[in-house]
Amino acid sequence: MRLATDTGGTFTDLAVETADGLVSIFKAPTVPEDPVQGVLDALQLAADAGGETLDDFLGRASVFIHGTTHALNAVVEGQTARTALLVTQGHRDILLLREGGRADPFDHRQAYPVPYVPRHLTFGVPERILHDGSIHLPLDESAVRDTIDGLRKLEIEAVAVSLLWSIANPAHELRIAQLLDAGLPGVPYTLGHRLNPTPREYRRANAAAINAALRPLMSRYMAGLTGRLRDHGFSGRVLVLTSGGGLLDAADVAGEPVRILNSGPSVAPVAGRHYASVAGAESAIIADTGGTTYDVSLVREGRIPVTQEMWLGTPLNSHLLGLPTVDIRSIGAGGGSIASVDAAGLLRVGPQSAGARPGPACYGRGGSRATVTDAAVVLGFLDPESFLGGRLRLDAGAAEQAIMRDVGDPLRLDPVEAAAAILKVTTENMVQAIEDIVLAQGLDAGRAVLVGGGGAAGLNSVYIARRLGIRRLLFPETGATLSAAGALLSDLKADYGGSVFASTRDMDWATVNALVSRLAAQCRDFEAGPGEGAVSSEIRFVAEARYENQVWCIDVPFDAVGFPDPAAIERFRTAFHAAHKALFTIEDPRSEVEIVAVRATVACRMSARGQFRMTEYPTSAAIGIRQVSFPGYGTVAASVLQTDRLPFDKWHEGPAILETPFTSIVIDPAARFVRHGSGNIEVAP
Amino acid sequence: MRTELDPVRLSVLASRFDGIARKMSNTLLRTGRSGVLNRAKDFSCCIVTAGGELLVTGESLPIHVLSGPDLMARSMMAFHPRLNRGDAFLHNSPYHGCSHAADLSILVPVVDAQGIHRMTVVAKAHQADIGNSQPTTYMGDAVDLYHEGALIFPAVAVQRDHADIEDIIRMCEMRIRVPEQWRGDYLATLGAARIGEQAILELASEVGWEELERFTAAWFDYSERRMRAAVAALPAGAATACSTHDPLPGTPDEGVPIRASISIDPADEQIIVDLTDNPDCMPCGLNLSEACARTAALIGVFNSLDPTIPKNAGSCRRVEVRLRENCIAGIPRHPASCSAATTNISDRVANATQSAFAAIADGIGMAEVGAVTAPSDGVISGWDRRTGRAFVNQVFLGSTGGAATAAQDAWLTVSHVGNGGVSFIDGVELDELYHPILIHERELVVDTEGAGSRAGAPSLRVIFGPTLDPIDVAYVADGHHNPARGVRGGLGGGPSDQHVRRVDGSHERLPACAQVRLEPGDLIVSIGAGGGGYGPPVERDMQAVAEAVLAGLVSRERARAVYHVVVTENGLDKPATGALRAGVRTELAQHVLAGARNAPDR
Repeated sequence: MRLATDTGGTFTDLAVETADGLVSIFKAPTVPEDPVQGVLDALQLAADAGGETLDDFLGRASVFIHGTTHALNAVVEGQTARTALLVTQGHRDILLLREGGRADPFDHRQAYPVPYVPRHLTFGVPERILHDGSIHLPLDESAVRDTIDGLRKLEIEAVAVSLLWSIANPAHELRIAQLLDAGLPGVPYTLGHRLNPTPREYRRANAAAINAALRPLMSRYMAGLTGRLRDHGFSGRVLVLTSGGGLLDAADVAGEPVRILNSGPSVAPVAGRHYASVAGAESAIIADTGGTTYDVSLVREGRIPVTQEMWLGTPLNSHLLGLPTVDIRSIGAGGGSIASVDAAGLLRVGPQSAGARPGPACYGRGGSRATVTDAAVVLGFLDPESFLGGRLRLDAGAAEQAIMRDVGDPLRLDPVEAAAAILKVTTENMVQAIEDIVLAQGLDAGRAVLVGGGGAAGLNSVYIARRLGIRRLLFPETGATLSAAGALLSDLKADYGGSVFASTRDMDWATVNALVSRLAAQCRDFEAGPGEGAVSSEIRFVAEARYENQVWCIDVPFDAVGFPDPAAIERFRTAFHAAHKALFTIEDPRSEVEIVAVRATVACRMSARGQFRMTEYPTSAAIGIRQVSFPGYGTVAASVLQTDRLPFDKWHEGPAILETPFTSIVIDPAARFVRHGSGNIEVAP
Repeated sequence: MRTELDPVRLSVLASRFDGIARKMSNTLLRTGRSGVLNRAKDFSCCIVTAGGELLVTGESLPIHVLSGPDLMARSMMAFHPRLNRGDAFLHNSPYHGCSHAADLSILVPVVDAQGIHRMTVVAKAHQADIGNSQPTTYMGDAVDLYHEGALIFPAVAVQRDHADIEDIIRMCEMRIRVPEQWRGDYLATLGAARIGEQAILELASEVGWEELERFTAAWFDYSERRMRAAVAALPAGAATACSTHDPLPGTPDEGVPIRASISIDPADEQIIVDLTDNPDCMPCGLNLSEACARTAALIGVFNSLDPTIPKNAGSCRRVEVRLRENCIAGIPRHPASCSAATTNISDRVANATQSAFAAIADGIGMAEVGAVTAPSDGVISGWDRRTGRAFVNQVFLGSTGGAATAAQDAWLTVSHVGNGGVSFIDGVELDELYHPILIHERELVVDTEGAGSRAGAPSLRVIFGPTLDPIDVAYVADGHHNPARGVRGGLGGGPSDQHVRRVDGSHERLPACAQVRLEPGDLIVSIGAGGGGYGPPVERDMQAVAEAVLAGLVSRERARAVYHVVVTENGLDKPATGALRAGVRTELAQHVLAGARNAPDR
């Protein structure tokens, strides 16, 4: 039996896969002050469902996978270790200057982002290495010793070392590591060249600083998690979800905690890929709709695109790490998004959200502002009596009142028109988020399936798909806990990289091939170490490449053999042109191609993939009829159907509302739908 | 047929047009070749109506777009009365609506199936080179256009039926330095324009051209309503502020004073910026194009307003910018050179405008942003033995310069007021990888921030030089004699400066505008300008001052003398600070009575 949990802001999701390949899901409230307690609560629910004690239940499990926002929360809230940063002398403002850029040149209310390690804890070290690895200025060891003495007096709890061109020659960073071992024994440190070998010193230094700062906290957290599971009889392997969409052993994560900042959402596309593939699709757009945020990720030809530009806050107005991370774009849109009309008459929905507390007006928990959920109630998309399987009764009167006050009256619309307007604007916002990532990753949206996950996905995904010209929309069985499901489908994974500079203009690619060999060896070590016993394993290489003088690189895959002959280099050049054209619609076949860095990813699948079907949940609600207002069709009678009672492989015509205990799927009169043998609902918008 | 737009459509179509401009920008950013384009983000993508009115500016560089794309589109229509699908035009003429010659723009008319011209998309990208007589695109000492030497394209057809007119391409390749790089930038810019054209055609086929016309009218009206409300909320008043550009070859010895007179009429919901009381065009490259003169004034205005007001022809209806012909901050007369129009005098116009706002009332306007262009953001050229080839490129090693507003301390990396901070800053490693240079130092300079209750940015010092072969560095640095000034009692930012340290140990100060040859071992020391503060420094949060002292950005002596904050080795001394500040408050009150706070001072 394998277990996967994903600790979100509101709920801790649990997915359980038993030996027969059946999956069941559970949700318990997150306990912010003790996230592991929320995990244990979810596990208790699963144990109770089987009539077992928690210890017996955990004793049967072989693997426990954990997704957590604990590291990210600590970074955002600044609850990390007192950290010092050592940089090359003369470059003390690396973190402060960032790479420039600003989201809105006219918004003077936004404060400039503060560096993660303040200037007074950033120290210049006399040394300099050049881009070819040669030493321009030798390391002044006595100056380093003096600095380390100073750190002791400052009661520094963690140290990051990130020198210019340490990626070309790590000698100085390695020597400083020895001096830290001697001078500050027991204080954890992170070396930039080891953690993030990118030729972008700000990203490398920032990743090193945040990693060092997280180490004390995340070591404690991982030890606490593992210990408490062991106390309850668990004797299997504890794995953690990484931002790269893979798994790492908890003990390894304690050393490189910065790799799990986006733990959780990063594996939603892993689940999406599985469900798209079951439905016969190679490319997919995965949209996870919660109460507050709308997270979009992709699968392109079976691969999940990664980015090295994940921002820790608002893009351009915050910081980035430059570590390979599953590309996920989030906007403030969801069931709780607040609708308003400004004084000049423009309707906006979000990014502000009423969240779960006070929540939409119809929740009756003190929220009074009109939200997307209120609009769904007014349109009849949501049934006040059966929301969340009847666990929360909604106040339809409050919803209508809020919508009229905030939107209907200012725009002179009736309640149904106003509700439809809110839905339409939020749909467009979500479409824009999808178009941004689709453009950035060069995906042809019209040929992809849209996978809807999260509690609010069913409200408008049909409209989103139609607006984007997407012909197939999937609602997976596990859609309400897409990340926990994705965790069960994830592989053990590690990324290795190195900086190199080569052009197709000159044919001496020995240094590139040497790097490829080194990375391949690192991947094989991983296979033999953490990956031992894998049922299958795969090593993939990508080059970060560009046309001459371009600054932004694109990832172009190449074979493990590297570049042994001119033909291989020419093949790579051709592949680059094709990739450039796919991403940006243009190519420049006359231009040479340059490689700036090489990365390798090793993925080890640790268990054979089973049928991965949901355990059928017990149902009570009967099929009925509801009056629903569909934009463009007026108010019509729609069938209300219990999803798991639908016969397999039979197409139905809209309108209909499909209910599950976690969500409602709205099928408008123009759409058709079917329940596949896989248990997933497919909609033809 | 409906004549009024459905209010929901207003939101949805506004979002879709923004999305189209964003799509164009993202494409251009990712595919451009020269550093100025893809590192400094020195480009813009926007959409203009068939009537020649600016509709959407996207995520553009401010000085590029608030006015100019409209003027360029109109000149394209005037020169080419018959526009066909598949046409594309090159435009960089500062005498016909472009900002300056280096901002080579591509205009694509969006033509419907009936052959009617419906909209124009504009993609404008600053070039690494535009064929000037010297390897720089900011030739401050050009006595006229002929000396400047730029290729000028006043809306010249470069594509018909989606195919290049090869004559034009060949002309460019013969005259522009590093032609492969230019061609790469041309393809990227054209690609962005075509993506915008395609997206608009798709949108029109979905909703119809009539609906799009209803939308543009409604969107302009909405934007105007937002602007009316914003102006109505401002205090009535008039003020004139002057911001002086340092002397350069071709200017008077005392420099170039730039005056902006503004008046705010909340009753009539109108703002007037008058730039007519400024010197005539001069025999130098600093003259503004009409596009830059208008835009710089509008930047000063929008820097003083709610940032969410859409910037388009609708909101600009409430702002009248008065210009005159043959004026250095007005409408240039050919062949006056506008080589450096987007930076130097433009920055003085915007700074004078926003300081004039601040002079009218507390809480509005903005201090002066530091001037450019220091050698750290200069154009470097030479020969790279690693590739065996010549190179010319603008580097962006960084400039700070941000100015304070009443609401917030400065954004550190604003670069200059016309840029607003959207530029990226080059990484040291990538710059060393791509060019044969070594960057020895890049750090902020202590005690150079514009002190104020809200503080301006400190100066940035960058020291760099060639590795194995000589390089040339060209720049036009303003802000040494006239550093950015503070407003409402705020102090000025640190002055700019530049030196060279020769390999033989000698040391010399460099002129404000030069092309400097550096031999291996020589180092150029570039000190960028700081930005001005807003409000009296003695009213600054004492904790913020103590933190700046701890960070090494403000000395203890300056903390005490300027901010009246006492910081010891143990940190902030609150009682001593309280006592020191209590004495000052009485003194300050007297100054206020004397009206001293309204005079910008250094």
